[in-house]
Amino acid sequence: MANIANTNELKANKTGVSAKLIVRIVSITVVLALWEGIARSGLLYKDVVPTISAILYGIWEVLADPTFFRQAGVTLGEITLSVILGAATGITVGIILGSRPFFAKIFEPLLHYLAPTPKIIFFPLLIMWFGIGEGSKIAMGTISSFFPIVLSVASGMRHINPVYVRVGRSFRATAWQQATKIYIPAMRDPVVNGLRLAFGVSTIGVLLAETKFAQSGLGFMVTRYYQQFNMPSMYGIVLIIFAFAIFVNWLFGKLIVEETQ
Amino acid sequence: MKVNKKPAVSVGGASSEQPVLVVDKISKVYQTNSGSLIAVDGMSFSVNPQEVVSVIGPSGCGKSTLFNLIGGLTPPSSGKISVSGMPVNGPHPSISMVFQEESIFPWRNVVNNVAFPLEINGVPKAEREEHARRFIQMVGLEGFENHTPSQLSGGMRQRVAIARGLASEPKLLLMDEPFAALDEQTRLLLGDKVIQMQQELKQTILLITHNITEAIQLSDRIVVMSYRPGRLKRIIDIDLPRPRTSEIVSSEEFGRYVAMIWDDLREEASKGMAAADSARATT
Repeated sequence: MANIANTNELKANKTGVSAKLIVRIVSITVVLALWEGIARSGLLYKDVVPTISAILYGIWEVLADPTFFRQAGVTLGEITLSVILGAATGITVGIILGSRPFFAKIFEPLLHYLAPTPKIIFFPLLIMWFGIGEGSKIAMGTISSFFPIVLSVASGMRHINPVYVRVGRSFRATAWQQATKIYIPAMRDPVVNGLRLAFGVSTIGVLLAETKFAQSGLGFMVTRYYQQFNMPSMYGIVLIIFAFAIFVNWLFGKLIVEETQ
Repeated sequence: MKVNKKPAVSVGGASSEQPVLVVDKISKVYQTNSGSLIAVDGMSFSVNPQEVVSVIGPSGCGKSTLFNLIGGLTPPSSGKISVSGMPVNGPHPSISMVFQEESIFPWRNVVNNVAFPLEINGVPKAEREEHARRFIQMVGLEGFENHTPSQLSGGMRQRVAIARGLASEPKLLLMDEPFAALDEQTRLLLGDKVIQMQQELKQTILLITHNITEAIQLSDRIVVMSYRPGRLKRIIDIDLPRPRTSEIVSSEEFGRYVAMIWDDLREEASKGMAAADSARATT
């Protein structure tokens, strides 16, 4: 599948590589020019829409801030830990739901309804349970990442080609061998996909929580710059978070393409 | 030891040896919402060492049920199956199954697919890979050891499945319509490959099929099944010279066998078709 998609893309690139690139560059330039125009005209509050050079300087200022890397480390740690916890619980529950139709019938509809609910509504509770420090942020991220993982593992398990399981049985694989040599490799696609979604929603959850009520983290920095009315730095850090999210998504995307080849 | 009455001893030469497979009055009844369905009804036959036997029957005659019963994936309702004198209760190490569906693992390359049964038995990596290569060569896939299934054609993938079946060195290779999804030309050519492999390994094979040509091309004997309930209708000895190639399909004798088997099958197949038609009419 990925192969076909890639070759199609290559073909398209061959014929329209320059046209595509031109359109892309032109539209980015237009957006930047409009931004700069608005910023310089003073039509909107000058400080709310800083000039591009001011934003670039803002990025520099953020990166030069000695606390930035520590704050980024806090956020990254919270996201990582919450994805790990979400994966551990999500995969376990997903396997139970995927292999036991009885439990799936009872619990899966509930999970489906809960999944799109904004998890931030739990945040006040989480603060009471885990404090205003990193605990409540990790809990927030864990709740967020649990849902995409549990749902994709449960459905991935049900969509395993039954003949693979029969092959395992016919060669007398033990339950452990069935799990490690058949179920897990057969489910890698849905599991990686679930992890990717989980990373996205846990990033949202953690950052959102940090902007609400926190003492550290990138979300906390965004709020702090906002409170100091340091707009260039606030835009700067938002752009840095964007870049980071794009990078991680790209990483997961590569992982998926690699395994389907 | 009790040997089934009708077929068994009809094959020349092999009768003195112990049969590789004995199927003794085997039955399978499924309970459905509309009552019980007899899929296989009291079938008995045996397969002798180095023999190729085909089970042929119309769609819905219980061939696949028989495949799962012999492979030990489904317990029989009554009757006994034994392989080299040992009872089959669940998957047996002396039997390898080759499935009709695409069954090789897409996440493993050819070597690791073929080595799978050895990996399950705890054979060390280097040893099992060397072993696997031998069977890859036997099915004519040397040079494709490190290819992934997605890089192979359907016929090549089924050959990998056969090599995997052979890799555990079973006493009986049990195949369920392994070439059903392939076109007729590929099927004939793969038949040649199977014959070569069978000669080389002296492999005992039980082939489940609905394809008359394939059955005659490959078999020493053909077990014809009736449509629902799946009963043994007749066992036909195929007295065609060996070694055979796919050219044999154009011979006069071959044509006579086709006519003979079709004569048996036509009646059963039309029963099956009528049943399918009426089932459609009532829904």
